[in-house]
Amino acid sequence: MRARYADGRAAVMHDVECELGGQEITIRLQDATHAWRYDDLRRADDGNGRIVLKRKPDTGERLVFDVEATNALGAAAPTLFRAHAHGVEPPRLVIGLVAAAWSLAGVFLFGAPMAAAPIADNMPASYRAQIADISWSQVNAVTQFCDDSDEAERILNEMAHRVMAASDVPHRDQIWISIVDADFPNAFALPHDGGTPAIIVTDDLIQLAGHPDELTGVIAHEIAHIERNHVMKNIVRQVGAGIFFDVVFGGAGAGQAIAVASVNLAGLRYSRGDEEEADARGLDYLDAAGIDSAGLARLFDRIQQLEEDQGVSDIPTLLLTHPATPARAAAARARSRQGLPPSLSDRDWRIVRQACGGSPEPAEAGATGED
Amino acid sequence: MTVEAAQAQPFSHTGKFFNVLGLALKNAGLTIVTLTLYRFWARTSMRRRLWSRAWVMGDPLEYTGSAWELVRGFLIALPTFFLPWVFVFYIAPLMMNPVTAAWLGFGFWVLLVPLIAAARYWMRRYQLSRTRWRGIRMGLAGSAWGFAFASWGWWVLQVLSLGWYTPAARMNRAKLMWENTRFGDQPFEFVDDGQSRQKGLWGPFALGWFSFPIAYLASAFVVAFALIGMGLGGVFTPDPAGEPSEPDVAAIVAVVAAFGFAFLFTVLLCWAPYNAASMNRIAGLISIDGARFRLKARTFSLFFVTLAGWLITIFSLGLLAPVAGFLQIRYVMNRLEIIGAPKFAEIGQPVIEGPSAGESLGDAFDLDMGVGVI
Repeated sequence: MRARYADGRAAVMHDVECELGGQEITIRLQDATHAWRYDDLRRADDGNGRIVLKRKPDTGERLVFDVEATNALGAAAPTLFRAHAHGVEPPRLVIGLVAAAWSLAGVFLFGAPMAAAPIADNMPASYRAQIADISWSQVNAVTQFCDDSDEAERILNEMAHRVMAASDVPHRDQIWISIVDADFPNAFALPHDGGTPAIIVTDDLIQLAGHPDELTGVIAHEIAHIERNHVMKNIVRQVGAGIFFDVVFGGAGAGQAIAVASVNLAGLRYSRGDEEEADARGLDYLDAAGIDSAGLARLFDRIQQLEEDQGVSDIPTLLLTHPATPARAAAARARSRQGLPPSLSDRDWRIVRQACGGSPEPAEAGATGED
Repeated sequence: MTVEAAQAQPFSHTGKFFNVLGLALKNAGLTIVTLTLYRFWARTSMRRRLWSRAWVMGDPLEYTGSAWELVRGFLIALPTFFLPWVFVFYIAPLMMNPVTAAWLGFGFWVLLVPLIAAARYWMRRYQLSRTRWRGIRMGLAGSAWGFAFASWGWWVLQVLSLGWYTPAARMNRAKLMWENTRFGDQPFEFVDDGQSRQKGLWGPFALGWFSFPIAYLASAFVVAFALIGMGLGGVFTPDPAGEPSEPDVAAIVAVVAAFGFAFLFTVLLCWAPYNAASMNRIAGLISIDGARFRLKARTFSLFFVTLAGWLITIFSLGLLAPVAGFLQIRYVMNRLEIIGAPKFAEIGQPVIEGPSAGESLGDAFDLDMGVGVI
């Protein structure tokens, strides 16, 4: 059988005569003879129309047959016609890669939340202050501070401290509530300047609330996020996700976008576990402070109604950060205690409602009353 | 014997579109299923496929790299590149004041220019060291950092000249790259033919330089034409009650897509003459052992190949980018010829060793569209 042979020492091909034996192929080049064992051979053609054989380890030698030699070679050395001889990876490698990839993802999915808590709890104050700066720059970009809300803020802070004192919330003296002018109804917890936490309440949320207990319920929920350090845990989780996706999976900036979003308002989305924990803890605060949680249930109902009336897209911020589900409303209603006094007096509630030029009266007649 | 009188032997590429597409689809599927871990194997198999269909004087090229080498390169890049990357872009913004962090990020981006150039060089060194013809290995000598800092200087000149130094920079890079390229122990040369290296490039480059305003005008014309054709009603549906109408989202998407396509079409068309001319000029100045090369790239054929590659890449969200690479390789190989014959019997294996690991930073920067066309 004729073939062409390169000796690996010069870039020329020689015509050779080959003989196919049981275990090896014999190559005769003028006076020299080479014997190549089939087990030591690999294909180097990737199915390009020739059959190119090379040795393993690669000596640079090549033996080239025309496609007509397929039958004879296939009969003598069938292993040379299997995918593995071309360098195609075996199925077990692909299965292994799938397993490795999803194991890595699983380790991250379960490991990151577990690691987030100790990292967040032990984050140095300087880092927290830096994160606070970034977060506040975001708040300043989408909201405006009101110059007429000092009294309203004082009232809300006194009420919040009463609630926190009843549950002995640690570091409660550092928590500060600010009212801002924004075009969306929301409240969110942020790291405060200097690393201490703050709760931002928008004037639209105050206007949406029909009763002080509704607003107090939301504030209690945010206090719980702060007490459980959910803000920092969320940031650590998302930065971790960004690094993980960028580095391990060769992302091109997607991971960084996730991490950047984590310190933006748009990224302030807690895990479902965090939300459930904040819900439960917030209701505990209300119980301990003697505040009826029916107010929070009514606010959830109102948000749901708003969703049905206007569509989700019109109130995205509120819904994304505090999705109002029937289950959450039901949970708040289940712990309602009738006959408790409102969390703010009528006078204080009117002052709070007037923050940022708001209306002292709810839009709906009688909405401030009890159910 | 003069170059003109010497016999020309064409190169060729016998890759079939659907054969390559099939492999690209398989690779894309496995890359998704393995959350991108398969990308090293995908890249290797695609290169093996493309190299093996490239024929030079009747014998095919051969790609001998392995996926594990690429994995090893990636693992090397983890501490050397990704750790500084993570610090600069994840940690620093959280622990340093914003101005310092921003300067750090800016400094990192400035350093990226030579780093990307070095990565290209390392990538090419790796690929050439894994490319054989008639069993003889290719190679790339020289210093990657020397190339990187020279490239950085040319990049500065490009910026300062508002881009007009680009043809010279391209030829400088090609010269440095090809003069360090080896086939076995035989170096390539970048010959001085007594004329400017940028000969014939300035006119086509000027067209490319003005491509953006031209593309804006052309795209705006296309969109205006489309809107007039739709009578504007396709986008803003009139409301019988006279209320402000809601825009038709599908029509807006269609208009934006038309603008984007017209823009891409015009930009590629404007740059095609320059790209064809510079590819031809570079090929014409490459020499090995007295043999010269000739490339017959033409404006419109190159334009259609490039446009097809872009569209395939865009509509596959990048997953089929290797098919675009294949189209480029096939285009060049089918229009390339060697004039004269080197003394192959005297060309032996290279003395320089190839790198043991793959193109770590090339993977990080995704420089090769999954193929290795650089």
